[in-house]
Amino acid sequence: MNHADYLSLAPLLVTAATAVAVLLAIAVRRSHAAAFIITACGLILALLSLGLPLRHAPRGVTPLLLMDGFTLAVIGLVLAATLGVALFAHGYLARLRLAGDEFYVLLLLVAVGACVLAAADHFAALFLGMETTSIALYGLIGYRRGHRLGLEAAIKYLVLAGVTSAFVLFGIALIYADTGSLLFMALANGNSLLLPAGIGLLLVGLAFKLAFVPFHLWIPDVYEGASAPVAALIATVAKLGAFAALFNLLWSVMQPGSSVCIAVILLAVLSMFVGNLLALQQKNIKRLLAYSSIAHFGYLLVVVIAEDVLLATIAALVYLTAYTLTTLGAFGVMIQLSNADGDADHLEAYRGLAWRRPWLAGVMTAMLLSLAGIPLTAGFIAKFVLLSSGVDAQLWLPIFALVISSVIGLYYYLRILLTLYRAPEAQPASAPLPFTGGVALAVLLLGVLWLGIYPAPFLTLLEHLLTYLR
Amino acid sequence: MILVTLIGIPILAGLLGWMLGRRNPAWPRGLALAATLSVLALGLYIGLTPPENTPWLRQVRLPWIPQLGVGMHLAVDGLSLLLVLLTGLLGSVAVIVAWREITDRVGFFYFNLLAALAGLIGVFLALDLILFFCCWELMLVPVFLLITIWGQRQRHEAAIKFLLFTQLSGLLMLLAMLALVFVHWRVTGQFTFNYVALLGTMPPPAVAMLLFLGFFAAFAVKLHIVPVHSWAPDAYVAAPTAVSVVLAGIMLKAGAYGLLRFAIPLFPQSAEAFAPVAMGLAVITILYGAVLALGQTELKRWLAYAGISHMGVALLGVFAWNQWSLHGVVILLLAHGIGTAGLFVLARMVRERCNSADLRDLGGLWSTMPRLSAVAMLLMLALLGLPGMGTFIGEFLVLLGAFGVSPLVTALAALGIILSAVYTLRVLYRGWFGPPRDGQASVDLSRGETALMAVLVGIILWLGLFPQPVLRAVSPSIDDLRMATRGLMVMEHPAPLVRLIGWGGER
Amino acid sequence: MVIPITGILAVSALLFVVGAVALITRRNAIAALMGVELMLNAANLNFVAAWRYFWPERMEAQVAVLIVITVAAAEAAVGLAIVLNLYRRFGTVDLEQIRLMRG
Repeated sequence: MNHADYLSLAPLLVTAATAVAVLLAIAVRRSHAAAFIITACGLILALLSLGLPLRHAPRGVTPLLLMDGFTLAVIGLVLAATLGVALFAHGYLARLRLAGDEFYVLLLLVAVGACVLAAADHFAALFLGMETTSIALYGLIGYRRGHRLGLEAAIKYLVLAGVTSAFVLFGIALIYADTGSLLFMALANGNSLLLPAGIGLLLVGLAFKLAFVPFHLWIPDVYEGASAPVAALIATVAKLGAFAALFNLLWSVMQPGSSVCIAVILLAVLSMFVGNLLALQQKNIKRLLAYSSIAHFGYLLVVVIAEDVLLATIAALVYLTAYTLTTLGAFGVMIQLSNADGDADHLEAYRGLAWRRPWLAGVMTAMLLSLAGIPLTAGFIAKFVLLSSGVDAQLWLPIFALVISSVIGLYYYLRILLTLYRAPEAQPASAPLPFTGGVALAVLLLGVLWLGIYPAPFLTLLEHLLTYLR
Repeated sequence: MILVTLIGIPILAGLLGWMLGRRNPAWPRGLALAATLSVLALGLYIGLTPPENTPWLRQVRLPWIPQLGVGMHLAVDGLSLLLVLLTGLLGSVAVIVAWREITDRVGFFYFNLLAALAGLIGVFLALDLILFFCCWELMLVPVFLLITIWGQRQRHEAAIKFLLFTQLSGLLMLLAMLALVFVHWRVTGQFTFNYVALLGTMPPPAVAMLLFLGFFAAFAVKLHIVPVHSWAPDAYVAAPTAVSVVLAGIMLKAGAYGLLRFAIPLFPQSAEAFAPVAMGLAVITILYGAVLALGQTELKRWLAYAGISHMGVALLGVFAWNQWSLHGVVILLLAHGIGTAGLFVLARMVRERCNSADLRDLGGLWSTMPRLSAVAMLLMLALLGLPGMGTFIGEFLVLLGAFGVSPLVTALAALGIILSAVYTLRVLYRGWFGPPRDGQASVDLSRGETALMAVLVGIILWLGLFPQPVLRAVSPSIDDLRMATRGLMVMEHPAPLVRLIGWGGER
Repeated sequence: MVIPITGILAVSALLFVVGAVALITRRNAIAALMGVELMLNAANLNFVAAWRYFWPERMEAQVAVLIVITVAAAEAAVGLAIVLNLYRRFGTVDLEQIRLMRG
């Protein structure tokens, strides 16, 4: 490791150091405010330090990690999303009167794990990143110790993540047996049947992690049982890392018409339809968002099989950005409405929100429209770029599945939208919006609209980043 | 820049009115009226001053998302100018109608109404496919909210149906746009969504047909052609009157505009090959709408089916694609827009006075409300295409044009127009003649209401008696459109189906 | 006596399947966690076999095994803590009875 290596790793190092700093602060004095401030400052610092690796990108830091433009962009998203969750969690934990300090340590660990996943160029890094994310998430999901649903979700996630890592690990072992290397590049050249078997197992493991149909059964329960900020974290940070890893991994094996390609198309189409269809009947917003995230990652799989690397990478990044902003915004509204009586995850809690709390309802409206891909929101630009990438590669089957299933998706987003604007039944006292959460929501709203209305600067930034592609 | 202003004014007025409306609902109302009237005024200004450059009257190109080949390209020619004027006029009518109808959340109502109008104006001005698509979709969400929040019974179902139909077809269109652009890119190396650049692209016939169908789907849904019409009656009935005016008066005209401007010029061969099917659909739509209109007793629902029938005529005219039929289509769109809007307003007035707009509860209105009845009769006569009214000119020209293409289809369409006389006179007879019912208030039109209706009736009469200015304004655009498809949509080699239906003729 | 590599791979595959079956069929949370451990160790066996038979000159497999053992320990620690909490809240570690949510 030399100077440039450290610089290249700066965002990761800062985030990890922040986790340590919070731990040390807890050792000195247990204080929610202090833990929050250190976390927020650390994350902002980490975001600022993203500029440092750029000079050296693309650069392999040890054989384990590779910091290229795509990775840096995903890391940026991961850090920003973590910051958002931290801002939301601040008010949430205070309202629930939960001890907040360890929450931030685990939060930061999830972020570190996701960053490692995004940067992984080696199976050991992939495994470590996955485990760091998972183990921190067990703690977060079961964070409300007295909460039965939370514990149930935690044990379900524990078993699921265990299975995931077992599949991934077994796959890695087979790949290693065949190729004698743990680098991602090794996938390109094998000579026995062990390699395809290994790739298959690996794919199954990652499909579990990202909840592609038919490996999706765990996800609604985990979302429902976890507290709203943690569900937001799973939906954004954990998925971002895992998807980036899948993306990096599959580019080295993907050939049009190969069996991997067919498997991915199958996963994508199934996820789109099943995710959207299952969401139709949901009255619980968390479960609904869980199913809708299945569908969204199904859409995203289209870019993995697209031909043009540059276009596909841009499409993936734009879509991930839009998805992160939007999902975080939707969960953010939910978090603001949640209190010690429970999370506001039932549809009824949103009835007439537009007349009770117009500002929150406005944010929710924008987020729902963006999830549905209506123009002038980030969701449209994302879907547009995604479709471009698919049309370019002439992937007609997944594209038609995308179009038709996204209309199904529109239906349930509209149902929530209708509920927002229905006449309210009662007039519960409206709690004031906490400063941190309000700021985060405002930024997310602006982001969604800005990306939807004038995405040119953002696209320029991405193009600039992607000149540093591996 | 005047074109950007045209779109910007409604949005700004809407936002401003929404903010100020919390204190005093007079603000959003006044601002909305000012905005729609200034759209009308700006439109007239563009029409009356000499054009800036050819081939467009006004044009503006600004960068928007250069990375994706998307630009802010707006332009106006005679055709789009007329539709913008229609938007300004009927927008003002909608604002005035809503003045007393909407009493809660006034600011938000007008914001949505104006946003929908801005989207519509954008649709008529956009020459960039993605900009067009954005505006196309932009008007959906406000209309959706308008129907769900301020609508009548069954509004949620109607609104969802409306949005799902339009969104699915819209996405198919988006897909077709993307595919077209990629075909263009492969051939020329230029990645752009600009309409003018894309005009000459010739995808392989099979591909072109698929892409054309993508566009056709979106426009057919808007134009509520059978079999994708079923959202329309529900939406019209559930929507508040002002929104029905916008929906039936302007928004569905956007479907016809889309066919004229985009679907056919971009894919002339496919349009030619598809023309027999489209004309068949048009006839089915005309007859289906007319037959169902015969059985309706509720005025708004009756108007919806009558509208379906008339849009079938417009579709027929579009696909006949010759000088006469296209001029007819434009006149028909304008006259039908104004007439339908007037009748929707009238249905609302009847409902206010008699607590019902159902023919079973009405009767003998003529004796109690002479002024309202006179207006009703004029509007209905216009609807059924009495000579001297705008609709007559439109339908006559369309049939004249279509006759040259396929006499059989034209004969069937003419049958539908005869039916329209039957269903219209039936409504007039049952509602306005005979003995008056009990319990009907006999409050005739107020002075303001009379003035509003007089303006609408006056314009319809003007279109019927002196259509030349409109025809002159729109002629260059139609020539341009036909130039774009020159040598392709002619009947030298009639497609087999056309030969089957008629015996061909000169287009 | 030299055991053929196919034999070892078969044993590890068997271990993996046994672990998966335990995970699916056993209702006890601790038994389920043991199933996960079995699956992880099946992978470990594979790594070791790959090192011994195919790539004796490389060190990756051994390092991987060490990482896996460490991670599995961490996972077990957090996992058992959760199981302990479950027992306190529900009075049982029977996964069939811990089913408040649908699905």
